[in-house]
Amino acid sequence: MLKTLGLEYHYQYGKKIVFPEIEVKKGQRLLISGFSGCGKTTLLSLIAGALKLQAGDIKFDGHEYSKMSSLFLDKFRADHIGYIFQILNLIPFLSVSENIALGIKFSKSRKSKVANLNQEIIRLINSLGLEKEVLNTPVNRLSVGQQQRVAVARALLGKPDLILADEPTSALDTGTTKKFLNEMMETFDSTKQAIIMVSHDASIAPYFDTVIDFNNHHA
Amino acid sequence: MLSLLLKSIRSRIIPTSLVTISLMASMVLLLSIERIQQGAEEGFNQSISGVDAIIGPRSSSLELVLYTVFHLGRPTNNITTKTIDDMRLRSDISWLVPIALGDSHRGFRVVATESNYFEHIQYANNQSLTFSKGGVFSELSETVVGSDVAEKLNYSIGSKIQITHGSIESTGNKHDDFSFKVVGVLNKTGTPIDQAVFLDLKGYELLHLGWQSGKKVLSLEDIDLSSLPDDALTPKTVTAAFVGLKSKLTLFNFSKSIREYPKEAISAVIPGIALSELWSIVGLVDKGFQLLSWIIIAISLIAMVTLIIASLDNRKQEMTIYRANGASPKFLAAMVIYESLVIGLVAIIGAVILVSVVTYFATNQLNLALGISPSFKWISLDEIKVFSIILLAGVLSSLIPAAMVFRKNLHQTLS
Repeated sequence: MLKTLGLEYHYQYGKKIVFPEIEVKKGQRLLISGFSGCGKTTLLSLIAGALKLQAGDIKFDGHEYSKMSSLFLDKFRADHIGYIFQILNLIPFLSVSENIALGIKFSKSRKSKVANLNQEIIRLINSLGLEKEVLNTPVNRLSVGQQQRVAVARALLGKPDLILADEPTSALDTGTTKKFLNEMMETFDSTKQAIIMVSHDASIAPYFDTVIDFNNHHA
Repeated sequence: MLSLLLKSIRSRIIPTSLVTISLMASMVLLLSIERIQQGAEEGFNQSISGVDAIIGPRSSSLELVLYTVFHLGRPTNNITTKTIDDMRLRSDISWLVPIALGDSHRGFRVVATESNYFEHIQYANNQSLTFSKGGVFSELSETVVGSDVAEKLNYSIGSKIQITHGSIESTGNKHDDFSFKVVGVLNKTGTPIDQAVFLDLKGYELLHLGWQSGKKVLSLEDIDLSSLPDDALTPKTVTAAFVGLKSKLTLFNFSKSIREYPKEAISAVIPGIALSELWSIVGLVDKGFQLLSWIIIAISLIAMVTLIIASLDNRKQEMTIYRANGASPKFLAAMVIYESLVIGLVAIIGAVILVSVVTYFATNQLNLALGISPSFKWISLDEIKVFSIILLAGVLSSLIPAAMVFRKNLHQTLS
């Protein structure tokens, strides 16, 4: 489904990273681990199409990033990728369901996969271990764990092909992390979707079928 | 996008509404100045129609118009009836209506004239005076009152009124030995005519029999009216005369020959020209105010852009989430531009409502002070132009923050 070819990135301040080649198939759960500053987030940004490619290419379902305009990449991201941030995933002035609905706001194809928005939102949050009541809770009253689950629901809404998650568990305690990952992995559709998560926390490796350690790679 | 935008604005409601209010207030200032000026100008210009010239003593033409038409300012000198009679003989004059001013009735000006006043004097765009009750006076003891006079003093046909010498009730001596009967009430015109009391010149003269230098020396009761000679009630002097010419083309020759009239120092004033003199003076002040209001509007727009730019940093999270979910930089830039449009539109709608309230009260004030009542409009074409300019300026200035958003790439916002 997704393959990177000879990706390199030069930072403005002079640092250069040569990324290992990555291949992700449908249903695959890939963990990229490594210390901060090793280029994990940069790789996710490149795959999300948020950063311009400098060297190498990314192939996604037959599309080559190097041949897409930045406008087309925005649309491509909207259609195919769900993104989860480390923290501050939610827009404070929107309700929980409005925040989740943002996931399909910019994509016609993802919208078309959701027949009944409210039902689908309730299905997702239930599957992620949230009560229906959180839908009426102001975003800033949710716990961090609840906020991250809402972010996962948004990323999964409309079944994008690829979920990118940038250290989504770093603000959670160990117990919550375990529960969160269990629920996330159960909710995602392993027949159609793939996950790439970056984390410095090696203890979560058992939840993934493939682990790439950037530290080892560089060493 | 609109619902997202409105929710986003609502989350920043206090600073945004303050900026909106300041923009609105500056527009209210601009529009009120414009409307009051236009209203006053329109009201003045509508106050007299069908009169080609006003013949009066030689003085400032503006002063003469203000006194004879608007009953404002100091009394001018009088002109003699002999001169008026000479004028009547001129072949270029179609009609002439003499008026004598100076007395009042409970604060309303008294206009002593001839019965043909109501036939020739018009207002607005050649509209003739009409009566709501009764008709023109035919005897010297009869009077016609304007609509405001009738309404405020509750007069109707048959009401008896007395005239005060001079224009101020408290200081003037009452002509209490003679009373007039109301025989006609005029329809409302929105001009100083509404606030005037009309008498026959002869009746006016009768009141002043036995008066010397503004003081009563003999009471009318002591005078045997039947023994008066025929021409005793023909006034010796009048204040001015309204004139209609047979052809407007002769207007300038007419006014030149009046100026050269050898027996008395008189002049002919063309009301439109005298009023345009007034507007050229008022216009200068008005331009200054207008310039000031535009500067204030510009300051408000700068404040708006400053607010939007300042808010961008706080909205980084919001913008990043939109982008991560596939919104293009265009979407974010459009949101910023629409925000300035929303602020501009709300300010405009608020300003229109406020200005309408302001003009409504200003119109009442103008009516009270000057007797004119300009028409009351919601919005004019010129104002729509002004609004468009302000909206456009708002949108153009919001291009600065929009460009800032547009050029920030997603990675910068992600990390």
